[in-house]
Amino acid sequence: MEEIKDTFLHPAVPLDFQNNYRVGAYMQRYLDGFKEKKILGAKCSQCGRVVVPPRKYCGDCNLVMEEFVELPQEGTLENFTVGHVVLEKGQLNRAEAPYVIGMVKLDGASNALLARLQVAPADARTGMKVKAVWQDQVEGEYSDLDCFEPA
Amino acid sequence: MDKKVAIAGFRMAAAPDLETTRERLVFDLSKGLLDDLGIDRDAVDNFVLCSNDFMDGRTISHVFLGPPAGGYMKDQTKVEMDGLNAMIYATMGIISGQYDVTMVLAMSLTGSQASPYLYTDYSLDPTYDRQLKLLNELSAAALEAKSYLAANGYSEELLDVVASQNLGNAAANPGQARRIDGVSREKVKASPYYYEPLRELHCYPPTDGGCAMILVSERKAKELTDKPVWVLGMGRSTDTYFLGDRDLSTSLSAAQAAERAYAMAGIKDPRGEVALAEIMSLFAHQEPLLAESMGLLEKGKAAAAYESGETAVSGKMPLNPSGGPLGGHPLCASGLIRAAEAARQLRGEGGDNQVKKDGVALVHGQDGVCAQQSAVVILGT
Repeated sequence: MEEIKDTFLHPAVPLDFQNNYRVGAYMQRYLDGFKEKKILGAKCSQCGRVVVPPRKYCGDCNLVMEEFVELPQEGTLENFTVGHVVLEKGQLNRAEAPYVIGMVKLDGASNALLARLQVAPADARTGMKVKAVWQDQVEGEYSDLDCFEPA
Repeated sequence: MDKKVAIAGFRMAAAPDLETTRERLVFDLSKGLLDDLGIDRDAVDNFVLCSNDFMDGRTISHVFLGPPAGGYMKDQTKVEMDGLNAMIYATMGIISGQYDVTMVLAMSLTGSQASPYLYTDYSLDPTYDRQLKLLNELSAAALEAKSYLAANGYSEELLDVVASQNLGNAAANPGQARRIDGVSREKVKASPYYYEPLRELHCYPPTDGGCAMILVSERKAKELTDKPVWVLGMGRSTDTYFLGDRDLSTSLSAAQAAERAYAMAGIKDPRGEVALAEIMSLFAHQEPLLAESMGLLEKGKAAAAYESGETAVSGKMPLNPSGGPLGGHPLCASGLIRAAEAARQLRGEGGDNQVKKDGVALVHGQDGVCAQQSAVVILGT
């Protein structure tokens, strides 16, 4: 009997379709707020929690969060990490320079917002006050809120 | 539990590159296990497979895996989470009375054929986190690590201690994918940072692998094995997705899943009754974090526990005597491998890493970013 040797065929198997996601009214309102350099959150009428970016449903109360509230531009750096790598399409590469990603709790918010921090890695401190930095031109896009910097 | 369910046997495989195909890996694990037990596929009435459509590059990833697994024209379903969930579903099928013998088989080729980081990347909120491109599996884990260390006043050195203990155990376990001799704390600390405080050797290695396990009813256990390992308790819990909503210094999902499993198994004093734990800690900080959350280590005293040897193979509370996921983490199979490793210990087949203690074993599995979901199974002899 002929022995079947182990060889592998490597056809290209791309996963390259695009999903036309609907972001929904809440994320749309959040991005519309960016056009006026406003940060909006959603408030639950039952538990009073304010989440940013706004979400439609409160997990704890199983209710629709019906109220939008504008949050201040300042908050506290609750947690951060200094990145030494970038991860793109599953590939890990060294970053050109270390950079800071933080979790910012805006004053009055119940949760923390993930953001890029414009601060030298050695100067980042948990608990430091930070404020929002906007792009000069705001167009209602994710990138309008550029980063946070020490207040 | 009204009806008793036992692990009759298991097979595991893990390597950076197994040089195989999905079908062949499944066939080798399944056929090998059937041969171990001296049965053929006719003796198995239910197949619970566990793989991931996205990582496999095809929807309904198990459609081609049924025949090599031995599941042709059988009840065959798939779990698309960590494999410990597949084990729980398989156990439920036997408890229901419908099945006596069930094959659970979890696998992925995330060492050689697709980056494991994509699994998390594509699980992130498409309308926010994937737009901002700041969050990924590693940056999320780093934020969790930082939060855990800060909340408890632990130094970064704890991560080196945990990683060197795990990698030491992995080096002595022939089944592990990452086996490096003599991994000292200094060597761990000399590995480069990914996201602070996590360094390369604090993180799991991309791994090919799988695990097959046969679960049986009490009646069949007597026929098929002299060393049954019984499923005594099971519990699961799922936290919110949003990291900014969570207290990352602890794991609510693990705490609640363990509480449910303890209640089912009648365990009142985990620290006194659990002899060893196999924990799906993908990053060094997760082992003490999850162990504290599940009541296996005293809160705030993990650093002292590791320093005193409490968590070593010979200690009072051995954690991951197998070396854990820092020694190998094939997506989907990882939690099921933890269960097989715990069963190996309870059968006294732990080799150089054998824990010499009486008691039950705790198995933890997780899914999602920073253990959004946890599954816990309690095993005993």
